[in-house]
Amino acid sequence: MAWLGVFFVAPIVIVALYSFNVYTLFGGPHGFTLDAWHTVANSGIYRHLFWKSIEMSLIVSISIVVLAYPLAYYLALSGTRRKYVLLLLLIAPFLTSYLLRVLAWKVILGDQGVINSFLVWTHLRAQEHPISQLLYSRFAVMLVLAYIWLPFVALPIFVSLENLDQRLLEAAGDLYASRWRAFIAVTLPLSLPGVIAAFFFVFVPTIGEFVTPSLVGGTGGYMYGNQIVDKFGAGFPDWETGSVLALFLIIVVAILTALFSRFLQPQRVAAE
Amino acid sequence: MSSIALSKNGGRVLRGFFALVVVFLYAPILILVIFSFNDSDFPSFPLSGFTLRWYRQFIENGDLRAALWTSAIIAAATSVGAVILGVLSSIALARRFFRGKPVVSALLLSPLVIPYLVFGIALLLLFHQIGISRGIPTVVIGHIVITLPYTILVLVPRLEQIEEALEEAAYDLGANRWETFHLVTFPLILPAVVSALLIAFTTSFDEYAVASFLVGTRSTFPIYLYSALRFPSQLPQVIAVAVVVLLVSLTVVVAAELGRRFAESRVGV
Repeated sequence: MAWLGVFFVAPIVIVALYSFNVYTLFGGPHGFTLDAWHTVANSGIYRHLFWKSIEMSLIVSISIVVLAYPLAYYLALSGTRRKYVLLLLLIAPFLTSYLLRVLAWKVILGDQGVINSFLVWTHLRAQEHPISQLLYSRFAVMLVLAYIWLPFVALPIFVSLENLDQRLLEAAGDLYASRWRAFIAVTLPLSLPGVIAAFFFVFVPTIGEFVTPSLVGGTGGYMYGNQIVDKFGAGFPDWETGSVLALFLIIVVAILTALFSRFLQPQRVAAE
Repeated sequence: MSSIALSKNGGRVLRGFFALVVVFLYAPILILVIFSFNDSDFPSFPLSGFTLRWYRQFIENGDLRAALWTSAIIAAATSVGAVILGVLSSIALARRFFRGKPVVSALLLSPLVIPYLVFGIALLLLFHQIGISRGIPTVVIGHIVITLPYTILVLVPRLEQIEEALEEAAYDLGANRWETFHLVTFPLILPAVVSALLIAFTTSFDEYAVASFLVGTRSTFPIYLYSALRFPSQLPQVIAVAVVVLLVSLTVVVAAELGRRFAESRVGV
């Protein structure tokens, strides 16, 4: 506990102090002010970036939850005997290197990358006109994020479907419900907690994402997280504004966590 | 099987969809494998013959080896530290009752949802404020915080499966706390401890955001990769090293999972 107190809580408090200008990177007069917060609140750029990041994370999380649901459904309810082997097959990529999977997409999507060179080679596209939107775009960021998180999302959905009392489905069948009806009235509502947990566990980390956008995003895929990094990076460091942005992100995440906490039972997911 | 959950055709469609997704997940990895043997400076079609020179280049690349080594040290220290703290806090969470337990458990798990980027920056500011210079130890501290929740998530369910009666029996037979832990509890949770070690190791080995803020001038493997990705001339050997790391980690993950299931079925608690 003391460990977390010192190395988890204390750092966040310090960020807060920076954001109120109690500490500053450069010397000079300082004291408690809200200047940095005012600057950020009144700047359209930060607001725009924030909403853009939220929008991108939303699109990514919703699409992969929709994609992952049938996968989890197949594993949990089709009665296949190899379900744990298949589950491992699905999840294994998630447990390997994140950065290397981003690297793979960089190789695939580039102007001279695998897709474009393949199209040129097969004369489907002229050398001078590669599909250049593939890499360094908002699309690339969202595709790579979806690729990275998809295996993980299937897990909580699988757990909730797996724990579903199958007798309820049989009862629905005995009452002459159609398969579709049984799904809408029984399976879907009962698996909703898993779906919501899955959504949350992708949505939250992707809002603060910065590695993927900086590697495959270019300017179009620049996200809120990149802005924070740049405030602390070389060039023109501005730790005060950066702290405000970082703290704001923590607050958003905390609020989301509180809202979703009913549905989150990480122990249950981990136990599988 | 045809049931209320799934018609025969529905099952076929879903199986096909599942197969497609698996292809989508593994195709990029397969492409890396193919191009790691491709005799060309650019990873692009058409393929131009088989070579092992990218593998030779990366083995001869001292910076890359140093970065791999640094990451291995950090990951080893992190996994040991995180598992020790994880075992202690899991025992407290699973066995003891104390006031404010929900708060403590929420706090222990909260690094799961904090963006690593923000956390890295926060630690950077802390170390800056108290005047600790950055280096391997600071990265280890950061990594222990972010991997601790994973170790707890693996260990607590396992501890809850073990009957407390076994520990009580040990006490009755005159064992003290340490002997009970050492002779009874620990062997029973060993499979979970091993998975926790592996999860902490792989997470730390691959972690970029926190490390990039805390490592100072040295390079860990992810940091090396990140900067190498900006130089196209390095791409082929980076692909070669990527293939090695991906295959090793895939093997370890699968072996660990199978091993854990096997061990837990044998201990049979």
